[in-house]
Amino acid sequence: MLQDHLHDYVLKHGFTGYTELRAQQNSNRAVAMLNGSLVSNSSGVSRGVSARVVKGGAYGFASSTGYGADVEAIAQIVRAASQNASFLDRHVQRGQPDFASVQPFSRTDGLEHDVPVEQSYLLGMVDELDSYIAERFPKLLSRRVFARVLNMEKLLYTSDGVVSHSFVPRSNVYIFMTTQDQDGQPVELYKVLGGYGNFPEKFKHAEDYFEKLEKQYELLMKKAEGVYAKPGIQTVILDSDLAGILAHEAVGHTVEADFVQTGSVGGPMFGKQVASDKVSLVDIAHTAFGELAPVPVFVDDEGTPAQDQMLIENGILTGYMHNKESARKFGHSPNGNARAYEFSDEPLIRMRNTCILPGTDKLEDMIASVEDGYFMTDMNNGQADSTGEFMFGVPMGYEIKNGKLGRAIKDTTVSGVAFDILKTADMVSDTVTWTNSGMCGKKQMIPVGMGGPAIKVKINVGGRA
Amino acid sequence: MKKAFEVKDKAILDAAELVLAGIKAVGADEGETWVSRSILTELYYELGKISMVRTVFSDKVSIKLLKDKRKGTVNLNSFDPADIKQAVVDAWQAAQSAAPDEAEGIAELQDNASFSSGEKTPDLDLIYQQLTDLLADTRQDFPKISFDSIGIEHNYSERLYANTNGVRLSEDQGLYQLSNMFMAKDGDLTSSFNYFATIYDDPAERVTDSDRVRRVLDETQRQIVTEQIEGSFVGDLVITPGCLENILWYVGDTYLQDGAMISGTSPWKDKLGEQVASPLVNFSLVAEHPELPAASNLSGDGYVAENMPLIEDGVLKNFSLSRYGAAKTGLKRSANSGGTLVLGNGETPLEELIAGVEKGILLGRFSGGEPSPAGDLSGVAKNSFLIENGKVTKPLSEVMIAGNLGDMLRDIVAVSQECENSGYWLLPWIRVKGVTISGK
Repeated sequence: MLQDHLHDYVLKHGFTGYTELRAQQNSNRAVAMLNGSLVSNSSGVSRGVSARVVKGGAYGFASSTGYGADVEAIAQIVRAASQNASFLDRHVQRGQPDFASVQPFSRTDGLEHDVPVEQSYLLGMVDELDSYIAERFPKLLSRRVFARVLNMEKLLYTSDGVVSHSFVPRSNVYIFMTTQDQDGQPVELYKVLGGYGNFPEKFKHAEDYFEKLEKQYELLMKKAEGVYAKPGIQTVILDSDLAGILAHEAVGHTVEADFVQTGSVGGPMFGKQVASDKVSLVDIAHTAFGELAPVPVFVDDEGTPAQDQMLIENGILTGYMHNKESARKFGHSPNGNARAYEFSDEPLIRMRNTCILPGTDKLEDMIASVEDGYFMTDMNNGQADSTGEFMFGVPMGYEIKNGKLGRAIKDTTVSGVAFDILKTADMVSDTVTWTNSGMCGKKQMIPVGMGGPAIKVKINVGGRA
Repeated sequence: MKKAFEVKDKAILDAAELVLAGIKAVGADEGETWVSRSILTELYYELGKISMVRTVFSDKVSIKLLKDKRKGTVNLNSFDPADIKQAVVDAWQAAQSAAPDEAEGIAELQDNASFSSGEKTPDLDLIYQQLTDLLADTRQDFPKISFDSIGIEHNYSERLYANTNGVRLSEDQGLYQLSNMFMAKDGDLTSSFNYFATIYDDPAERVTDSDRVRRVLDETQRQIVTEQIEGSFVGDLVITPGCLENILWYVGDTYLQDGAMISGTSPWKDKLGEQVASPLVNFSLVAEHPELPAASNLSGDGYVAENMPLIEDGVLKNFSLSRYGAAKTGLKRSANSGGTLVLGNGETPLEELIAGVEKGILLGRFSGGEPSPAGDLSGVAKNSFLIENGKVTKPLSEVMIAGNLGDMLRDIVAVSQECENSGYWLLPWIRVKGVTISGK
């Protein structure tokens, strides 16, 4: 747990002008086994302190490793940030006023999850899962089992009097299985387990996951006998994982207010129909459907209390995600989207937990409604563009023929223009599931949650002719 | 520049010696450490203005120790002796629970050496000038370009590798790096985003003097209004150097590096010395190159780095394996850290290379999923143009390409005379035949 030395600094020096002062510790653990060999057995801590000072609209930032009780060391960082802001202010002379101050408050979130975790616990879990796979599925060409822990702890003081101390744990196990198809070519399928919580909480017993391993192997065998998807526009049911990444990549990025200002397609579409009226999309701050979201944010790194941000309501684009500066420019309220990854990173406009809200259709009815198309169940990465065009990789899916699931398909990619695709969404399932292993890249990495129901759309499939 | 071993910042050496003493004290058989201290200075532009100056002071220590070939690894960012001692204990405890692996080890004793390049202290005023020049030049010559962000940073780092075999290698390096993201705009119309990243050692150079930068800005400006193509066809890809870098990383990951080789999924695992690519392909990883300042003189696992060919005249000469990966597979370890790529230029002038395409795509950027272990990949052609009857015609959107990486390397039919240089890669244009291209 981070000790609160910032309080001592504030007592002694106070703040001069708009300042955010943050101590942060990211702790990580990684254990990886490849075909039974332990290829990674590491842990790490990245700890430090940063300050961001704003003068006349010019930002100065400084950070340093070595956060401790030395108040003078903290003061040096604040001075360096202030000097950087002064350098820039001298050059640009923007003359902007400080941000409107917020009501002071103090809160803590998630600190109870900061419990010691032994590396040996991860090693034991990975070993048990790996041994099960080796024993049960001896014909695999290769297998990889990774355990990853990323715990982010932040202590923030702002010149407005906001004090926030938060701890957000994430624990995942990745299982990769590779076999060969009839041509001797390797075919792979991976699944991610776990999510929010510390490792022993999420992974109590390896046997809890054996059934999932059996299922994954069964799917891999189907995939090995699978066919390439047909290229071109197809009717596709995107299951929750894909709907979630669609929400994040294809829509979310285009309605980040910084991207909007640069010219993303989200700008001119504000207030307009961008999706079928069955589609509503929200960036959840911390709590959804009565439960904690995968990456809960209660206070962002500018000290703004976090609230849900509606983005699309019944098909109409109604909101953007903001930091303090963009919110002021647009005349909107900031809702806590300014997030930084490391202590050495400045806050950027980031998503938290983007989610398409559930509809009323049953998945089986959706499949039954498709004469010739695909049901795509897994995703492996995604990218988006300023134009709203996006792609993501699809490592698992099935043909649908005459309303019934058919053969599995091999790796493919789907792409399209987000708002065009969402306008074709004519069925939305009634069940949301979340993924909590995603890292989003935008100058810095950041953990994000993605969720959604299954949606039926028309989309371009990058199959083989 | 190579010189006798020295560490300029004594705190780095002290931290390393403390780690090695700790490794011996806990009873480990052997161990190694990387210790570094760096200062990063960044000037950042976003949303139409130079918005931020950022300074990051950073200390890093990574520790690996082995006991009976059982490994424990810990990373921390503190030189505080108490933190270092605790980290060694944590590594020791991690090793206790680990399974032994005969392939584990550390670099063997070799001559100690140091390398030095670049400036230690950045000139912030000069960086400011370079950024404002870039903005002004772009406004004048490419008025439709809108930068989402530009970062110019200077990073000075001194790092030391030390191990219990007595190896001591250090490197101090000062480099500038420019990164950005931009698009072209006309009213409400927007191109795809694009970027160019450059690593260099002289901030006095004008960014837009580079032909590469001008080409990328110009092509993006011509992509505001795009067209779609109907149906699918099998055609040629002309891959631009920046996009080729992306493709070559996929090649490394799928065919050449530890993961694919140890797991045995690499389709090239038994192909050493065999023809895996077109005879036009000469692909190497470099540790030293007069035009590539980003090249590092140290490998990632504690050796002085050297240049290394991967593919020569289409024949697989080396894999890109860590010391561990090499021991695991019985192959040679990579001679360098693998971060700097060179694909040798060919004999076909670019104009002629394009003129030979009946129907295909000039591929500016590839937005795709990770290739499958078999090398299958598919994705969207970004910042790309249609080529018809040897001429670059209309800018495209929503076009997908699909193929197999290995097949694509074998199907390279031309490599351009011209190359582009980012400071961390030096690459030509290549033409690949027989790729599935699909539109709406």
